[in-house]
Amino acid sequence: MNDYDNPWLHRLKWAYLLFVVLTLMTPVLYVMYVSFNANGFGANEYVFTLEWYGLIFSDELLIGALRWTLMLAVVVTVITVPMALLAAKHYKSAGNKIFPVFLLLAPLFVPPDILGSALLVSFKNLNIAFIWLGDQLGTAMFDGWFRLSFLTATIGLIIYTIPYSFVVILITMGRYRPEQTEAARACGANGWRAFWDIEFPQIRAGVFSACAFTVILVFNEYTRTSLLKGGFDTFTTVLISQMLNTGMSPQSYAMSAMVSFVAIAVIGSIILFTMIRAESLSRVARAKAAPVGS
Amino acid sequence: MTQIETQGTQQMTDSQAPAVEVRNLAKHYGDFVALQNVNVSIGAGEYFVLLGPSGGGKTTLLRTIGGFQKPTHGEVLLHGRSVGHLPPDKRPTSMVFQAYALFPHMSVEQNVGYGLKVAGLPRAQVAEKVAAALEQVGLTPFAARRPHELSGGQQQRVQLARAIVLDRDILLLDEPLAALDAQLRKDMCLELKHLQEKVGITFIHVTHNQEEAMTVADRIALIANGELVEFGRARDIYRAPEKTFTASFVGENNVLKGRVAEAAGSEIIVDVAGSRLQVDKRGLAVSDGQEVTLSIRSECVALDRVNGAETPADGFSITGAYDESVYLGLTTSHLVHLPDGTEMVSREIADSDERLPEAGSRVRLSWKPSDIRLHVE
Repeated sequence: MNDYDNPWLHRLKWAYLLFVVLTLMTPVLYVMYVSFNANGFGANEYVFTLEWYGLIFSDELLIGALRWTLMLAVVVTVITVPMALLAAKHYKSAGNKIFPVFLLLAPLFVPPDILGSALLVSFKNLNIAFIWLGDQLGTAMFDGWFRLSFLTATIGLIIYTIPYSFVVILITMGRYRPEQTEAARACGANGWRAFWDIEFPQIRAGVFSACAFTVILVFNEYTRTSLLKGGFDTFTTVLISQMLNTGMSPQSYAMSAMVSFVAIAVIGSIILFTMIRAESLSRVARAKAAPVGS
Repeated sequence: MTQIETQGTQQMTDSQAPAVEVRNLAKHYGDFVALQNVNVSIGAGEYFVLLGPSGGGKTTLLRTIGGFQKPTHGEVLLHGRSVGHLPPDKRPTSMVFQAYALFPHMSVEQNVGYGLKVAGLPRAQVAEKVAAALEQVGLTPFAARRPHELSGGQQQRVQLARAIVLDRDILLLDEPLAALDAQLRKDMCLELKHLQEKVGITFIHVTHNQEEAMTVADRIALIANGELVEFGRARDIYRAPEKTFTASFVGENNVLKGRVAEAAGSEIIVDVAGSRLQVDKRGLAVSDGQEVTLSIRSECVALDRVNGAETPADGFSITGAYDESVYLGLTTSHLVHLPDGTEMVSREIADSDERLPEAGSRVRLSWKPSDIRLHVE
C-alpha cells in the first residue's frame, strides 16, 4: 500500500477482491455442499453423508466417461503443447508477426458450435472420400479413418486448445533473452541442446501451465466434443445429457465436487510450493548479498 | 594451448595463416546493406578492436565471424580454413555478449562449466578448469551465486570466464563493457587487456567507445556505414588518421574544409575560411582548386589570447572569434568560430586562472607544422 493511500480504500479493494472470488466460487461450493446431502439437490432437509462418493465408483457410465475424458486430455495435451511450443518459437523468430498470430488465434474467435459443425461436415466428407479411395483400391483399409471417433474428437480439441497453449507459452517466452541461446551456441551447444539446457528451464512454467490449461479445457469442453466424439461419452457430455434428460444424479454432484477438490488441491499446492520456493530463494539471496566489490 | 574439440570443432593446423581473415564480406538485409566489401586480416594473439558509431556494421562483422549470421557475399577464414558453412558451435571461437547472456537458472560455476559439460568432459576435469577460470577473473568466492546476485562487472567477468575456459583461440567480445558505468568500464578495460596478454589468444572486441578501444587495442579498425574505413595501430589511428572520417571520429580533431590554392611541391597551400594554411602533401594526389579537408587535434592547437589578431599569418595559424571556454577538470577547451562559421577547439591541460578573452574578440589559433594533416577522402 502506498503511504498516501486511504486505508479504507485499501480495505475496500480487498473486500471487492473477496466478493469477486466468492462470486466465482459460490456455484462450485454449492455443488460441493449438495454432494454431501443424503437427500440430494433441492431437498428441504440436509443430512450429511459420504454415500454418494462411495457410489461414484459403482456408476459405470460416470467412471467410463471419466476414463475417456482423461484419455482425451492426455492425448490432446501430448500433441497440443509441443505443437504450441513449436509455433511460439517460430512466432518469436518470425519477421512478420501479424499473419501467423492471426492464423494461430483464429480458432478462438470462431463460435464453438460453428467450428464443431464445420469439423463435423469436414470429417463426414473425408470419411466418404476415404471410403471411396478404399473402394477404388479394392481395400477396406481406409474405411474407418474419419468416422466420428476418439480420433475426430482429438483433432477437434487440438484445434480448440492450441491457441490457448500458444498464448500461455508465448507469454513466458516473452521474458526469455535470445542472447542466452546464442551464448549457449558459442559454448558449443547445438540448437536443440541450447533449447533444452537453457531456454526450456526458463519457459518450463509456461509449458506446464499450458499442459494444465489444456487438460482443463478438454474437461470443460462440451460442444465440439459432443459433435465429434462418435460413440463414447466424456465427463461433461454425460453430466449435460443427464441434466437435460433426467436431472443430475447425486453421484454426479459427488463426482463434480471431487474433480473440483482435486483441481483446487493441485493448483493450491502449486501456488503454495511456488510461494515457499520464492521465499526461500529470496532468503538465500539476502543471506548471500554481503557487500561485494565489483 | 590445447583446444577442446566440441562437436566437430576441429584443430586448426595452419599456424602460418592469420587467426581471422575476412575477404570481400558483405551482408545485406533486403535492400539494407549492413556490410559491404570488407577485407581484414587479424593475426593470432592480437587484440583487435572494431570501432565505430552505432549501426555502422561492426557487430554484424563480429557476428558473421562468430557464425551467428551468414554473409551475403564473401568469406570468413579462421586459421586459413573457410568456415562460412559452419554454425557457431562448430567454430573455434567463443563469445562475450553485451549483457543478459548469462544463464539465470545456473550458478556462476555452472555457467562457466556449461561449455565443458557440452563437450563431454569428465566432471572432475570440468570442476578443475572452472576453478582455474574463476581464479583468473577473480570470482572464486562467487562460484555458488546466481547471476542476479552479481554486479554488472562481475556478470561480465563470468561471461569472460565462460569463454576462456573453453580454450578456444579466438574470443569475440560484443560491446562487453557497454552496460557498465564509466569507472568500472575503465577498470575492466585494463583487466581485459591483461587477461588477453596472459592467455595469449586473439581477442576481437567491438565498441563504439574510443577510449575503451585505445586502452585495449593492438590494432583498431574503424567501421562506419557498413564499410571498413581504415585500420591500423591504435597510436597511428589516433595520431595520423588517413581518412577524414577517422579524424572526425577518433580523438577530438578540428576538421577544416578548404580548397587547394597551390598544389605544387611537397607542401601545399589550402584556403580555409579566408586563411592560407600550409600542409604536408604526404604524397597524395591533389590539384589546384580541389576540395580537401585538414585535421588538427584539439590538444595541438594553441590559443593566442594576447594581441591575437596582430600576429602575422605564417601558414600554421588561423584567426577566429572567441566563443567560450569549457572547463573539463583535467583539460579546458576553448571554443572559437572561424569567419565561415566552422567551430574550432583548442584544448589545454591547464587549470589556468589567466583572464580569458572576451566572447566575440578576435583570437589566433596556431599549431606546429607536423600537427596538421591533409585528407582527400
